[in-house]
Amino acid sequence: MNTTENTGAAKTVAGLAGKYLTFALGAEEYGLAVLKVREIIKMLDITQVPQMPAHVKGVINLRGKVIPVVDLRLKFGFPPQEYTERTCVIVVEVMSATGAVLMGIVVDAVSEVLNLAAEDIERTPDFGEHVETDYMTGIAKVKGKVKILLDLDRVLGADGTINLRAA
Amino acid sequence: MVGGEAAVEALKSGLRHLTGVLAAAPFEGLATVVDVMMRAEEIVAAGNEQEMLARVDAAWTAWKAGSEQAPHSVSAADAASSRSDARVDEDVAALRMDPELAGMFIVEALDHLGTIEASVLALEAAPGDVKLLNDIFRPFHTVKGNSGALGVRTVQELAHRVESLLDLARSGKLAIGERETDVILKAVDVLTAMIRDLQRRLNGDPGEDLEAARVHLITLVEAVIVQEHVEPEAAPAAIAEESGASASPVPAEFRRRADDSGATSVKIDTRKLDNLVDMVGELVIVQSIIHEDPALQAVDERLTRNLAQLRRITSDLQRNAMAMRMVPIRQTFQKMARLVRDLCKLSGKQVDLVLSGEDTELDRKVVEDINDPLMHMVRNSVDHGIEDAATRQARGKLPMGRLSLKAYHQGGSIVIEIEDDGGGLNTERIRQKAIAQGLIDAEAQLDPSEINQLIFRPGFSTAQQITEISGRGVGMDVVRRNIEALRGRIEIHSRPGEGTTFAIRLPLTLAIVDGLVLRSGAQRFVLPTFAVRESLRPLPEHVHTVHGQPRMVQVRDSLIPLIRLAELFRIDDAVEHAWEGTVVVIEDEGDHVALIVDELVGKQEVVIKSLGDAFSMVRGVAGGAILGDGRVGLILDAHGIVAMVQRCEANAA
Repeated sequence: MNTTENTGAAKTVAGLAGKYLTFALGAEEYGLAVLKVREIIKMLDITQVPQMPAHVKGVINLRGKVIPVVDLRLKFGFPPQEYTERTCVIVVEVMSATGAVLMGIVVDAVSEVLNLAAEDIERTPDFGEHVETDYMTGIAKVKGKVKILLDLDRVLGADGTINLRAA
Repeated sequence: MVGGEAAVEALKSGLRHLTGVLAAAPFEGLATVVDVMMRAEEIVAAGNEQEMLARVDAAWTAWKAGSEQAPHSVSAADAASSRSDARVDEDVAALRMDPELAGMFIVEALDHLGTIEASVLALEAAPGDVKLLNDIFRPFHTVKGNSGALGVRTVQELAHRVESLLDLARSGKLAIGERETDVILKAVDVLTAMIRDLQRRLNGDPGEDLEAARVHLITLVEAVIVQEHVEPEAAPAAIAEESGASASPVPAEFRRRADDSGATSVKIDTRKLDNLVDMVGELVIVQSIIHEDPALQAVDERLTRNLAQLRRITSDLQRNAMAMRMVPIRQTFQKMARLVRDLCKLSGKQVDLVLSGEDTELDRKVVEDINDPLMHMVRNSVDHGIEDAATRQARGKLPMGRLSLKAYHQGGSIVIEIEDDGGGLNTERIRQKAIAQGLIDAEAQLDPSEINQLIFRPGFSTAQQITEISGRGVGMDVVRRNIEALRGRIEIHSRPGEGTTFAIRLPLTLAIVDGLVLRSGAQRFVLPTFAVRESLRPLPEHVHTVHGQPRMVQVRDSLIPLIRLAELFRIDDAVEHAWEGTVVVIEDEGDHVALIVDELVGKQEVVIKSLGDAFSMVRGVAGGAILGDGRVGLILDAHGIVAMVQRCEANAA
C-alpha cells in the first residue's frame, strides 16, 4: 500500500497499520490486531466462576488449559443477548501483570481480516466524558463503514485484570 | 624442612590461633594476611624469603586499600574479601553473562552438593573406602570446575580448598576422622548457602553476607591440611593456572557429565512436563468421548477392538506422563541422616537411624515441601522421644536408640513413617498441659489417642525444658499445616515406654486430586474427598431455622451450620431445601459446614488446573478440573468455604 504524506494525525497512527480481525458487537464493528489472536472457536459451555462481575462469563477448557472468558458485549455495556449460531469466542493473548495470558472474548460474530493502511486509520476523536476511549487505539474507515480498533491489553490486560475483579 | 622446625611450628600454631580470631568481620582481610604467613614455611624452605615478604606485603596492602587489583593468587584474592559484596557481585555479573548456563550451573551444583552428605556419612562408617572418597571428591571437583569456567571465583576457591584436602585423603596422606568429616560437611553447607545466595542475587533479590563463614571455613580447611604436615596443595599458582585453562565458553564439566549420565536422564523444564500432562489429559478425555459415542459402538467389531486398544494406550501414556514428575525420596531421607548425626553430637544421645524405601517416588513438589516437617519431626523424636543412654539402660533397653524412617505405598497414597523406640508420648502430661492452656476441660473424658491429637493444636509444646534442638515454639501444629497443605494427613501411634510412630499419608501427586463430583443447578463442582466427612439427606425436622432461614442441620448429636452452595456461589435453579437434595458435610481444621447440593454425581480423580491470576481473589475455589465430558468443573476449597460461612455467621450475629 502506498503511504502518502498526510496530516499530523496520521503520523501518530502510522504504527497502527497492519492486519486486523474485525468482528461485530450489536450494530458496531470492531477490530483487533491479528497478532494478538490465537484462534477462533465456536461458542461452548462456559463454567461460571462466583464473585465475578457479569461480563466475566467464567472459564472454558481450551485443549486442557483452563482460560477465562469475557463477554465483550457486557464489558462495553451493550444489553445482554442470547448466544446464537454466529456467536464466537476469539482466543487472544494479552499481557497481564505476570506475563502473557490466554483469554477468550465472546463476540456476536467474526467478520473478516482487513489489511489497514495508515491513511485508513484516524485517531480516536474525543467523545466527551461519557465515552471511555482509553482502550481504543483508533478508528478505521473502510468502504464508508467505521471500525473501532481496540487495544486489548488495555481492555483485558494489565489494568484489565483488575477490571476482571472490580469492574 | 629446614632447621628451626620447632620455631616455625610454634609460629604456625600461633598464627592458626590468630586466623580463628580474625575470621570474623571486620578482620577477614587480615586473616588472609595471616593465611599467607602460614604458608611461609614452604616458601622459606625453598629459600624464597624475598618472595614471601613481598607476598605478605602485597596481601597486607591489598587488605588495607581494599584493592581490587588482587593478583592471581588465592591469598591476595581473599585479601579483597573485606569488600566481600563486591566479589560476590562480580560473580553474579559473571553468571549474568549467560543466564542459561548460570541456571544450569546452580541446579547442577546444588544436585552435586546434595549427593555429598550421604557419602560423607557412609565414609564415617567405613573409613578409608576409596570408592566413597571418590564419590565425595568428584562432586567438589565438578563444582570447582564449573564455577571456575563460569568465573564464580568465591565458590571456586572454596571448592578448590576442599578438593585439595580430599586429594590428600585419596593419596593416603590424610585420614578422614571426625574433625575432617565436620569440616567437609560444613563446607557442603557453606557452598550450598553461597550458591543459593547467588541464585537469589541473580533473581534480583537481596543477598546475604556469607563471606565471614566462607573465610572461616577456608581457614578450617587449611588448618586440617597444614596439621597433617603435608605440603599444602593449594599453592597459589595452581588456581591461577586452572582458572585460566578452563576459560572456554562451555565448561568441560557439563560436557563430561553429559557423557556419564546423559544416556539415562535428561533435565526438563517442569513447565514442559506440565504441558505434556495437560495434553495427555485432553487426549484421554477425547478418547473416552469417542469410546462412549453410541454411533460408533454398534457399528463394527473391529472398530470396537481398535478403540479398546486406543484406550489402553492412552491410559498407559497418561500414567507415564504423570510418572515423569516423580522423584525418589532418597535425598530427603539422606538429609535426615545428617540431621540425626548432628543432633546426636549436640544432645550426647546415641541414635541409630534406619532408612527404608528410599526409592519410593513422590511428586517433586511434595518431596521438596515435606523436607521441613520431616526435619522437625526427626528433631522431636531425637530430642523428646529417644531417652539418653542412662535412662534407656535403666528401662532395660539398649543404650543406642533406634529411629527408623520408612516410605512405602499404601492404597493409592504414600506413607512416610517416623518410628522411634523412645518413651512414647506422655499422655498425662499432654492432658495437664492442655487443661492448663484451656484447650480442654479438666473434666473431659478423653481416650489416650484423642489426647495425643492435642499436640497438633497451635502453641502446644510439652518440652519441660527448651533445649537447643527443639521446643522453640514452632510446634506440631505447623507440621500438620504443612502436611495438610500437601493434601496429606498425619497420624500418631504411641506405645507408652516403647516408642512413638508418626505416619504421614500423602497423595501420590499434587497434580491430581481424588474428588467427589457434585451438582448444584446446572453447574458441577469437585470437592476433594479428604475434606468430605459424610453426606446425608436430612429429614425436614432436622433442619433448624434462624431468623426464618434454614441455618442448622442436626447430624446425630451435633448441630452443623448449613448453607446452600447455590447461595454461596449465586447459582440459579438449584434445590431449595436440604431434604430435596443432598447435604455434604465438609471439615476444615475441626470446623464443620454442611453444604446443600442437588446431587452427588460420582467420584473421580481429576487433574488440578490453576484458574490463573484473574481469579486469584475468588474465595471458596481452589482451581479448575476438566471433567469427563470436557467441561471445566471448579474445585471447591473447603478451607475457604468454612471461612466464608463463618464470616456470614459473624455478620448475621
